[in-house]
Amino acid sequence: MTLLLAAALFLPLFPLSVGLNAVLLRVRHPLARSAILLAWPQVGVSLLSSAGQPIPPWFIAWALASAAVYALRLLTVRDLALWAAFLASSALPLTWILADAGAPALRLAALGFSLPAALLALLGGPLTARFGAAYAGLHDGLALHLPRLAGVLVVTTLAAIATPPFPGFFLMLDLMGRLATTAMPVVLAVWLTWGWAATRLLQGFVFGPGRGGASTADDLGAGSAWAYAATLAVFALVGFDLMGGGR
Amino acid sequence: MDKLSILIPAMPLLSALAITLPGLGARRRAARLSVGFSVLTLLIAAAALVLYLYRPEPRWLAPDTGWAALYVDPLSLLMSVVVAGISLVVHVYSVRYMAEEPGYARFFLLLDLMTFAILLMVAAGDLVTLLVAWHLVGVVLYFLLGHDGRRPAAQRYAFWSFFTYRLGDLPLILAAILLYQAYGTTALPALFQEIMAAPAAHAVLGVPLPTVVALLVALAAFARSAQFPLHTWLPYTMEGPTPVSALMHAGIVNAGGFIINRFAPVFVHAGEVLHLVFVVGLVTAILGSVLMLMQNDIKKSLGYSTMGQMGFMFVETGVGAFSLAIYHLIAHGLFKGTLFLGAGSVIGNARKHDGVPPDEVYTFVVERRPVAYRLPWVVAAAITVVVPLVILGLSHWVVDSDFVGRQGAIILLFFGWVTAAQLLFVTYRLRALSPWRLMAMIILSLVIVVAGYTWIGHAFDVFLYPDRAFGDRIYAAASIPLGTFEVLVGLLTVAVVAGWLATYYTNANGGRRGGAASGLRLALYSLLSREFYVADLYAWLAQGVLRLSQRLNVWFRWV
Repeated sequence: MTLLLAAALFLPLFPLSVGLNAVLLRVRHPLARSAILLAWPQVGVSLLSSAGQPIPPWFIAWALASAAVYALRLLTVRDLALWAAFLASSALPLTWILADAGAPALRLAALGFSLPAALLALLGGPLTARFGAAYAGLHDGLALHLPRLAGVLVVTTLAAIATPPFPGFFLMLDLMGRLATTAMPVVLAVWLTWGWAATRLLQGFVFGPGRGGASTADDLGAGSAWAYAATLAVFALVGFDLMGGGR
Repeated sequence: MDKLSILIPAMPLLSALAITLPGLGARRRAARLSVGFSVLTLLIAAAALVLYLYRPEPRWLAPDTGWAALYVDPLSLLMSVVVAGISLVVHVYSVRYMAEEPGYARFFLLLDLMTFAILLMVAAGDLVTLLVAWHLVGVVLYFLLGHDGRRPAAQRYAFWSFFTYRLGDLPLILAAILLYQAYGTTALPALFQEIMAAPAAHAVLGVPLPTVVALLVALAAFARSAQFPLHTWLPYTMEGPTPVSALMHAGIVNAGGFIINRFAPVFVHAGEVLHLVFVVGLVTAILGSVLMLMQNDIKKSLGYSTMGQMGFMFVETGVGAFSLAIYHLIAHGLFKGTLFLGAGSVIGNARKHDGVPPDEVYTFVVERRPVAYRLPWVVAAAITVVVPLVILGLSHWVVDSDFVGRQGAIILLFFGWVTAAQLLFVTYRLRALSPWRLMAMIILSLVIVVAGYTWIGHAFDVFLYPDRAFGDRIYAAASIPLGTFEVLVGLLTVAVVAGWLATYYTNANGGRRGGAASGLRLALYSLLSREFYVADLYAWLAQGVLRLSQRLNVWFRWV
């Protein structure tokens, strides 16, 4: 049980998820934040494997409740780094459902949930460098003035909220297929709320006339944009090939 | 032919990818590329349909991945041609219409992605592909509607559309998961075969699986096709660019009718759900039509008109006339697309001159001048009641002498009769120099419309559902006990005739209103003008959820 509770810290279940978010708040460097978001759940998967015992049913209820609480809280978050952290705190608990059902490739599943969040945290870097903060609503109009940065932000956000063809979409289908009928509506509500939160985030960054200095800032370099695009393309291909829902 | 079928959705995807490449994404080049690929898509889709007509055998094309399968059948091929055709028109229109807008290449990229998503949706051969395409349509629509990022209203209503679409995605996902859990496959032909063989083999919480799945699919269709009370987003999509409005109202919104047809083998075992579809469609049709009449903005009026038409489409599916719904959505798509693309010119012309000809229709409807000469009322009443009945009955009898055995056909005939009688009733009061000639012309038009509609509807039926027994089973599933049916028809007839009489006496009194009913009428008008406060209710709920979210974040100090 101790190992399971330790795993609940790394595959964060509320209120233990406060640990991950507190660490991410203290670490200011976008690269370090991304690394934490990638490594943190992998520790959780290792602990879960080491526990070697069946997951009690109340853990699944706990995981669903955690995912729902953070999805709800995500709606009013404006800071991009915090948004990425809260999304991870909402998505990663769902890994417990896959673990409970004995799904293979649990590490890959955790990566599927955490990679887009890590990429979003990384995007906080170029935004902060240009505007002093990555805060939705303060610096809008990226689509109009910084199309490359806007494009990367949009596609990464879509990957983060489990939009096809990214792996998150197939992971959601997979875990839904392993759930009891009565629990399915909770996962669906969480998924719906992610989409709502994403539109609020994008409306604060991407759309709008360009308040907050977007019209004078430099766009993301072509190299960086292609690097992001390549990462997301590989990520999508992984979703298409490795997690094809029909198999 | 199999390769052609794969190429149909591949073409717009290739176009979208090409636009993102360096050098090809320049404004003019992107538009040219996109239009070129659209032409190719339409040609390939048309060729595939023609080849199918020569060798009509449905095929299921599946790669090794287990998903990304395509289902080549009459429904997918017909819809592909329609989608590719409307998409091409919208592409060509956008070349000049969007020329002054920022994000020109992005707009064509999004148009191509939307065309790809819709073509993939109509050709999807398995549940996963269907879900992927269904989901993508909503996402791409959000960015198309919000293309002009400088307008807050466009963003607001793009969000409304996105949220309603996501809401509609969820029941379809649930239906797909339940089907997969029950049958262990996602392949649509295999699923339908198993359901047809043993419909009662599985149940969810004690309810037969086909009923549950049909209900979930219907809910998804309601959201996508703006059925009451999930209609609030549709009239406001005009805030997006006009070509997107055209694509939206001519193509995307019809997805509800398509998905119900795709799941016809499930609906045939879910008569109760078909009744629900009928009721929801009827309510939407009435509300959409009434709200359309209350608008003074041409584009918003067209938006509510689409809502009404979608309601009629669901009424058709609700009575079992599935193929007629497909014909309806195609016909509606063509005329509504034309209206939207022409709306700008109409507004422009109207600003210069009203363009209303001072003919007899104008003087009667607008100026309310008294009628100089009418046909004898007995003759007019006889013509009003009998002529539409004869035309409708004969035209149906010519194409299908068994139609009287189908309740659904009777209901649609009833609607047709009421509409035609209403037209003739109004004509009776119309001031005309030659009432006999006018009446003859109207009856001739009615014959052409009804005969054409009936014949084409029948052709669609034969093409989409060649198995006559299956078509009969859908009608049977949609039917209700004969006694109830007769009572309902009687009540509906009384309601329609009472409406006519009320209108007649109101007009005879010079349109004066007053008395006890005026307060009620005013209250009804207020309710309708606020659309029954449905949008206000949604806004209130959304604000409540956001307040709760904020409060939670403050309590937990944002960690």
